[in-house]
Amino acid sequence: MSRFAELLDDFFFRPDEDVSGLQDFAAGSDGVASAAPEEVPEEYLSFRLEGEAYAVPIRAVREISKVPPLTEIPRAEPHLLGVMNLRGELLPAYDIKVRLGLAERAPLVAGPDAPVPPRDARILVLRTETGPAGVWVDTVSGVVKLKPSMLEPPPPGLRRGDKDCVVGIGRRGPSLYILLDPEQALAP
Amino acid sequence: MSPPSKALAEFVAEATEILEALGKDLLVLDERRGQEADPDRVNGIFRAAHSLKGLAGLFGQERISRLAHGTEDLLDRLRLGKLHLNDAVLDTLIEALDAFQALLAETARGTETDGLTRRADGMAERLGRLGEVSVALDEDPLERLELDAQVRSVFTEYEEHRLRENVRKGVSMWRVRAAFDLSDFDMGLADLNTRLKPLGEVISTLPSAQPGGAHGIAFDLIFGTQVSLPELESGLKGTPAELARLAVRPATIRSAEALVRATESPAIVLGTLGVASAPEASTGTSPPSKRGVRAAVEGGTHQSLLPLASERSDTEQGETGASAHGVPGQESESDEEHVPSAKGPSLVTYLQGPGGRAPAATPPGAPHAGAGAASSALAEPSLRSLTQTVRVDIGKLDGLINMVGELLLIKASLQRLAESARQDGVVPLSKLFGQELARETRGLERKLEALQEGLLEARMVPVGQVFDKLARLVRRITREAGKEIDFVIGGGEVELDKLIVEELSDPLMHLIRNAIDHGVESPDMRLAAGKPRRAVVSLRAEQKGNHVVIQVSDDGAGIDELRVREVALTRGLITHAQAEEMGRRELLNLIFLPGFSTARSVSELSGRGVGLDVVKNNLGNLSGIIDVWSERGKGTAFHLTLPVTLAIIRALVVGVSARTYAVPLNSVLEILSVQPREIRTMERREVLDVRGQTLPFVRLSRLFGLPERPVSRYFVVVVGLAQERLGIAVDELHGQQDIVTKPLGGRLQSVRGISGATDLGNRRPVLVLDVAALLEEGLALERRRA
Repeated sequence: MSRFAELLDDFFFRPDEDVSGLQDFAAGSDGVASAAPEEVPEEYLSFRLEGEAYAVPIRAVREISKVPPLTEIPRAEPHLLGVMNLRGELLPAYDIKVRLGLAERAPLVAGPDAPVPPRDARILVLRTETGPAGVWVDTVSGVVKLKPSMLEPPPPGLRRGDKDCVVGIGRRGPSLYILLDPEQALAP
Repeated sequence: MSPPSKALAEFVAEATEILEALGKDLLVLDERRGQEADPDRVNGIFRAAHSLKGLAGLFGQERISRLAHGTEDLLDRLRLGKLHLNDAVLDTLIEALDAFQALLAETARGTETDGLTRRADGMAERLGRLGEVSVALDEDPLERLELDAQVRSVFTEYEEHRLRENVRKGVSMWRVRAAFDLSDFDMGLADLNTRLKPLGEVISTLPSAQPGGAHGIAFDLIFGTQVSLPELESGLKGTPAELARLAVRPATIRSAEALVRATESPAIVLGTLGVASAPEASTGTSPPSKRGVRAAVEGGTHQSLLPLASERSDTEQGETGASAHGVPGQESESDEEHVPSAKGPSLVTYLQGPGGRAPAATPPGAPHAGAGAASSALAEPSLRSLTQTVRVDIGKLDGLINMVGELLLIKASLQRLAESARQDGVVPLSKLFGQELARETRGLERKLEALQEGLLEARMVPVGQVFDKLARLVRRITREAGKEIDFVIGGGEVELDKLIVEELSDPLMHLIRNAIDHGVESPDMRLAAGKPRRAVVSLRAEQKGNHVVIQVSDDGAGIDELRVREVALTRGLITHAQAEEMGRRELLNLIFLPGFSTARSVSELSGRGVGLDVVKNNLGNLSGIIDVWSERGKGTAFHLTLPVTLAIIRALVVGVSARTYAVPLNSVLEILSVQPREIRTMERREVLDVRGQTLPFVRLSRLFGLPERPVSRYFVVVVGLAQERLGIAVDELHGQQDIVTKPLGGRLQSVRGISGATDLGNRRPVLVLDVAALLEEGLALERRRA
């Protein structure tokens, strides 16, 4: 794009841009956030897997921890990476990349042959029906607020893997987040 | 559901204790159906209901409070003699207890269902409606007792009732006067009570009309006994008691007739039992006393030696003891007027199915039966405690505190040593210093071990806790299954870690249910087979060194191993070839395979095919094993072997393919060093020759699918449980260590061969091997290969 076109682009807003604040200002509101009553924004934790942005409701996340030493479990399901000791509590650590179709097989992160985990990798400890469980993520991006109006159902082609772990898409400005359901993602 | 708050958790803990005590008492009353109910016990249950009502009210637990109120009312009527303890009442009380448990479970979870609310309110209503007006005698026996009117006016209703009963039974009444010094009258009075208890019933304690001198206080105890005067006197020797007999005017003719009628009628009257049982004295206080100093008389155990008063009722008792039971309980609801006449004798005592009773299907019984069916249709609640608390003897805690005190002393010494080393600077540490340090460290080690043992001991609870809960359950299942059973419990005092006891409740429930449903035959079939009509189901615990063995057995039909084989073949669990090879014992063990069930009808009680493999799995998680013995026509016995404690175990740390695992040492028989060439192959199985015997052999690396490393020698850990032995080959031995095992959580339950994990100090969890599972897997592997 030419420099002039870029500037114009920045100046004019796009149809999908979030400009509710600007509109309020224009309408002369006295600064009170005038979200319509049902438009309560929900907080999500967003993270990246193989470069793609995902998010889960923040309530499902109990904590985020650096990757502790993991112990592999023999003859376990392939997506169970291992078990970790978190302040005395034993938690399983899972991989969800395979389920989401992002990788062919689970990474080798436990056992004597495993490499040192990348600096940005984290374990998200999620609350599930069967107890807390950890999920390996490549990096954690942060907390993002999404209003219900920003949520869309997943497009049919996006259903990867055989489980309905993707429950929707969240769109905030230029960013797109694939919303996951923790229970489904970790279902055996 | 949000977890209950701390206050609510406390409520649940306290309420659970109350219900446990209540359940125990009800159980005894139930076992002694047909005999006179111990007034102490009824009083105990009354107090429990009263406490529960108050407690529930305090915590805003409306439903529980309402139901407790209804129960308390009923029990009050019972203990005052306004109501007779017949079958309907007892059954309703037991149902109420079940309802309480369910309500408490919901409270613990923080939920509230409408169905349960309706059930509880329905129960409360029924409790209120239950009632039978007792036989009105022409003359109040109390009138015949020559007692000062002033004194009589002071009695509570309960005391009057007890007095009336004693007089009616013709028990001698005494006034025991004793004067004590003001400084220690409480001890003196307690002592006097202790002496009196075995001799009879202390009905009331009153301040004496005659003063006890300037520095004393005197009491009059109204006492009923059947022992002779010389006996009474000798029993009270050494106490300052003076005896004065209370005269009882003889009954008039009419009242005598009424008396005879009363003893003839099959109604059960509350009286003292001639059984010397001694539950722990509850610490309940006496019912609200109106005036005066009263000792907590009712709080103790009654050990009255009163046989039933008249001979006539004695002979009738044996026969008609249950004839009162023969009265269908439902009648009492509609029949307010008079006690129905005796029906024919029916089989008595203990746990009894409906086969031995008069038919109970009457329309007024509908609500009763309906509630019964409803409760069985509800999902069977788990027998686990709702709380995670353990009762610890305070003496033990004091002992632990002392140990900590000694540890502090050692800490001080070590600090001193460290300080002196620091101050002396570059001066090389002397030999003396080294010796002192070594000594302190040894002392530290000893004290820490003692502390560890003490803490482990604090976690132990008697297995009887779970056994008692099971006893109640057995009663209900027996009734529903229409069988007749004697449930025998033994070894309840054997102690196990609380965690293990909790985990045991559900597996034991399964086994007992199976035994009652499928093991034990119906009474008629048993008679036809030449067996006694009543079956015996027994539950026994025994301590054997580091393990506890629990046996669940029945003298029923036994397991038909041919049918087992048939079913296993039909369900494709084994092949014909395998079936040929299997010995009797192996065939019996097939019942532990998942998906196995020989029940023809899938009742909601059991027979869904989920029973035994789940039991085995649960036990495996506790490092326990289960074994079965059975003989067709004779009976079946399940043996469960469990370690005494799980919390801290001694483990052997081993290395395989550069991974580390821990093996509980109590299952390790020996360790061998083996050269690869010593491994033999026998019928395509790998075995070792150990002192002339063949030992089956597996490589852990192969079993776990780990890359195998060539080694010059293997270490073979020989494990064994019961009769089986297996050698497990590992690459390295890293030593022995005391470890704290944590069970793998819910999601990790399905991992085979691993029973938990521990922390060896470098933050990386180390998996603990499930020896029993590995043993079985290893042996099965060998069998399959052959």
